[in-house]
Amino acid sequence: MQSNATPIGNRHHRLWMYQAMVQSRELETRIKTIYFEGKLPVFNMAKGPIPGEMHLSVGQEPCAVGVCAHLRPSDFVTATHRPHHVAIAKGVNLRAMAAEIFGKETGLSHGLGGHMHLFDASVNFSCSGIIGEGIAPAVGAAVAMKIQGRDDIAVSFMGEGATNQGQFHEALNLASLWKAPVVFIIEDNAYGISVSKAESTSVASNADRAAAYGMPGVFVPGNDPDAIYEAAGEAVARARAGGGPTLIELETHRLEGHFVGDTVEYRPPAELESLATLDPITLFRARLEADGHDGAELNAIEAEAISLADDAIAFARNSEYPAAREAFAHVFA
Amino acid sequence: MTDLTIPNDLWDDDSEGSIASWFFSDGDDVSKGDLVAEIMNEKVTNELLAPASGVLKILVAAEQPVSKGQVIAQIAG
Amino acid sequence: MSSPDTVEKTKSSATAPRQRRLTIARALNEAIHQEMTADASVVVLGEDLAKIGGVWSTTGGLLDAFGADRVRDTPISESGFIGAAVGMAAVGLRPIVELMFVDFFGVCMNAISSLAAKQRFFSGGQVKCPMVLMTSVGGGYSDGGQHSQCLYATFGHLPGLKVVIPSNAYDAKGMLRSAIRDDDPVVFMFHKGVHGLGWLGTVPRAATHVPEEEYYVPLGKAAVAREGTDLTFVGLGLTVHHAIDAANVLQKEGVSCEVIDLRSIAPLDRDTIRASVRKTGRLIAVDDDYMSYGVSGEVIASVCEDAGIALKATPRRLCFPDIPIPFSPALEPGLLPNGERLAALAREVLSEKRT
Repeated sequence: MQSNATPIGNRHHRLWMYQAMVQSRELETRIKTIYFEGKLPVFNMAKGPIPGEMHLSVGQEPCAVGVCAHLRPSDFVTATHRPHHVAIAKGVNLRAMAAEIFGKETGLSHGLGGHMHLFDASVNFSCSGIIGEGIAPAVGAAVAMKIQGRDDIAVSFMGEGATNQGQFHEALNLASLWKAPVVFIIEDNAYGISVSKAESTSVASNADRAAAYGMPGVFVPGNDPDAIYEAAGEAVARARAGGGPTLIELETHRLEGHFVGDTVEYRPPAELESLATLDPITLFRARLEADGHDGAELNAIEAEAISLADDAIAFARNSEYPAAREAFAHVFA
Repeated sequence: MTDLTIPNDLWDDDSEGSIASWFFSDGDDVSKGDLVAEIMNEKVTNELLAPASGVLKILVAAEQPVSKGQVIAQIAG
Repeated sequence: MSSPDTVEKTKSSATAPRQRRLTIARALNEAIHQEMTADASVVVLGEDLAKIGGVWSTTGGLLDAFGADRVRDTPISESGFIGAAVGMAAVGLRPIVELMFVDFFGVCMNAISSLAAKQRFFSGGQVKCPMVLMTSVGGGYSDGGQHSQCLYATFGHLPGLKVVIPSNAYDAKGMLRSAIRDDDPVVFMFHKGVHGLGWLGTVPRAATHVPEEEYYVPLGKAAVAREGTDLTFVGLGLTVHHAIDAANVLQKEGVSCEVIDLRSIAPLDRDTIRASVRKTGRLIAVDDDYMSYGVSGEVIASVCEDAGIALKATPRRLCFPDIPIPFSPALEPGLLPNGERLAALAREVLSEKRT
């Protein structure tokens, strides 16, 4: 299997984080362009090489890399309908992921799942298109690994909207009750489609909700990969050491719409303007350079990410579609 | 005879759009202010209202591409 | 009484009657506007309904017209707000709740199947549950297996729920007005393939003349969308249009097909189905839900249970197979019913020699 990023052990974790962020962005930039192929000028969601809905994680990359930098392939991760950045940071095969997004035979699931249903058992990654669905399975996986005597952990990524689902509260109670080795990551991008967090959530900070379940709650502002890395590191270490679950709330930014084609007219103009200054990749690169990292090395990382993204897209485009029998092949064991 | 034209400010760039739906058929009577068509640019739908009352003559069928400034129908008063 | 075939336009004359046409999406929006104007107890709640008017454009303009007390955006808390709607209905409101995709109902199924459907029954008729639960159904555009299902049978199977689905805009408006005035919980499904949002593609025939004036289409009553004598197609929502497409093709081959638009899954209008098959002697049921335990089986049973119907051929059905809906554009379309597949099945039925 081709890997997306140099294993973290071979590269300083900050450079690995930069690499994985850029990798996600480069792939998604291409996906966004290709999404409109065949859909214009008469826009029809069913048409083109990437049909259906498309939810991009542009802007939210720090959440994925700051957390996944601490994870092994054997750790279990569940993500959301906006899964690409987490999948890439978790080490999901880039070519197979791209091919799945195109619905091809060479895709992770032979085209059965699509962009909202990426499963890669080799790195214990999965996601779901329904809000809050991944939280309880992460608790279950964590408890299972504890029973099996492993020091692997589970991580559940969710949006801030998912915290208003009953499943969130039920799963957090279970996790605390069973001292499950699990970390809950809230990617707070401030909007559930069009409804802002302020209009949907009775508390200002979701980290406060951890108190209701007797677990530590941490709020990390700033969409900052370094700060996320630090907070996640503590939580992951606690989980591995048998210290139980942690809830981490990450402030992040959805620089695109809820889905590709969303005009985001529900967001105030000033807020939309400010997004231009909040690209976490630009900001992180500037900080790395300020900290003395060689610009040439960062350029080389970017070039590598571009090359891998191009390769994955070409692989997806050139792959065959699945045969009709494939649809019937995986309903039962 | 009044032209029904895709307004130049209906969307920002110079890309093409398409007619999603006609709400009246060719030859129907329409009244000024009636919603006569939906025009899409990418995934965004815009409404076109009748600029005058009269008989609608459709020049461009539904699901066809259109440009800003294009006359897509005429209304004979 | 409308049917999709009644929408042929009166052709041009300066004196032609005003024939405003609407998409189903706009017809539903107009129905809610009119019912909210007529009855202050009608309220709307759900995700993304107020400020942006719903992702299916069903609730646009309601917030401005009726205010935030009556038109609410909710958190993503379906068990909460659908359970709350049951309580609102118990104390005299008529809530309309929309939940974007029928696929999402799993998270709040208890509020639907154990509360809404049973409130009247458990109370021995003391407490009503006048609520409408709107949702989109259907696939065919590669939205994957959690955004493309129909689940007609899942809801039709639960006593206490009325479950309806229009195939055209005239019915959509009249049925929704009836649903809002109904004293029982109504699951009002709208099919994405006929809804009339350009970005999903749509069957143009589904956009019909819709009067602005008050009218109602009764719930629980099927329509004869097209009359015929040789074979009966029974469909609902989008598959009514597949049946009409097939009937148009078969007509050129000298076969006269009748098309029944169920409009309602529960209650099921068995009388209309039986009357048609009594006449034609041949039946094909078509739906885009999973096949087993579904609407198609129920339609066929309704006919087979009537000893007075002399069948000329074995009843058949065309449905989605019993597998989750695959994402790939290479897989999904070939599994869904369409006019061509329906016509082919009809030819088999018509050539059957009974022994």
